Amino acid sequence: MQSIINSIVKNRNLIIYLLLTFISFNYLYNNSSIHYSGVGKIGTFISGSTSNFYSKINSYFNLKEENRKLIEENLELKKIESQFIRISDKSIISESNIDKTLNAKVILNSINKSKNIIVINKGGLNGITNEMGVISSKGVVGIIKNITDNYSSIVSLLNIDLRINAILKNSSTIGSISWDGLDPRIVQLNDIPLSSTIKVGDTIVTGGMSFYFPKGIPIGKIEDYNNTSLEGYYSINVSIFNDFSSLSNLYILERSDNDEIKSLLNE
Amino acid sequence: MNRELAREMILSLIIILSQLLIFNHMNLFGIVNPYIYVSLFILYKTSYDKTYLILFGFLVGLIIDLSMQTYGAHTLASITICFLKERIEKYSFGVNSILPLAMISGTQLTNRVTYFLIIIFLHSLIYFSLIFFKLEFTLTIFLYTIINSIINFIIIWIISKLIFDR
Repeated sequence: MQSIINSIVKNRNLIIYLLLTFISFNYLYNNSSIHYSGVGKIGTFISGSTSNFYSKINSYFNLKEENRKLIEENLELKKIESQFIRISDKSIISESNIDKTLNAKVILNSINKSKNIIVINKGGLNGITNEMGVISSKGVVGIIKNITDNYSSIVSLLNIDLRINAILKNSSTIGSISWDGLDPRIVQLNDIPLSSTIKVGDTIVTGGMSFYFPKGIPIGKIEDYNNTSLEGYYSINVSIFNDFSSLSNLYILERSDNDEIKSLLNE
Repeated sequence: MNRELAREMILSLIIILSQLLIFNHMNLFGIVNPYIYVSLFILYKTSYDKTYLILFGFLVGLIIDLSMQTYGAHTLASITICFLKERIEKYSFGVNSILPLAMISGTQLTNRVTYFLIIIFLHSLIYFSLIFFKLEFTLTIFLYTIINSIINFIIIWIISKLIFDR
């Protein structure tokens, strides 16, 4: 017995190291999917609190650039507004099923990892719930993952775990968007059969066949494609409209019919 | 409490806070993040208990992970370099490493550079391997590791001279 205790005491550093390695790996493993996780929630809170401090300082230095972007965004909105008045407004609203949009500001963002996460300054108290879709003025950004009272984290489009339903705007062929973890300006469009016609420059928009986004939100345009695959599908590179390195103002979409659809699926 | 120990604890706190509040958000050339908290493990005195170092590494790594949403990558890299620190010291300093408190000032420059570089390189290698975690990214992992190691070495070297005076 004494010798066992002695050997434990002698090798305590190795034992502690192995134990902590196991804990860390477990932590890493449990958080690789986009599902809810308690530890991730604490992380969102801490990174939100610390990043807010930095963000506050930083925002003073970026005011000029921020103004320029706001003006650009305003112009875009004005354009949409004028279109809205021309077309009978009822048809557009009923098709999108968007209840309301919430505005939020980015306080932490990354593009250089394989699983990029964005943290915003709105949370549960502001009416944000899990798995809401997030867009910017230029297009799709990601999906809400974890929420604390005042902050939320978003699984960015630049996250290898995320897949988003998408269609070709011209032909309505359905595919899905994912990211291979390499170039933050390029995502991949999958599942487009070789039988459909595509060309460089075609616009890709959301397909509407998910809980997250309504149909028709821009994602990007085809940069290049390869039709030599033996599996019968194109491999398509899509250059995204959003510049993820300079995201600032985001809009969170709240869909009214989600609960209803989900209850239908659960029956 | 020992005055020297209190001073080191305050300095450690400052390093961790500046990592959280400032350096976590820096992104030099699009791929380099300065990880100045590694300097805490490098400059941890040889005369202090090694078990505490591993636990300290775990705590610091976990705080950085939670703040950066990296889910354990920093923690694993930190505890590994803390665990291997004694061996790296022996390799870098040779016979001098057994002399307590002779670290780090008073040793040869080449020995010190080797010591700093091995720890920083190992930390970056483990960190980026866990972040990318796919065989097809091997080249990217090495590229990120090498560039990050060089920049981090310069930053941590300056910190060790300026703040810790070692």
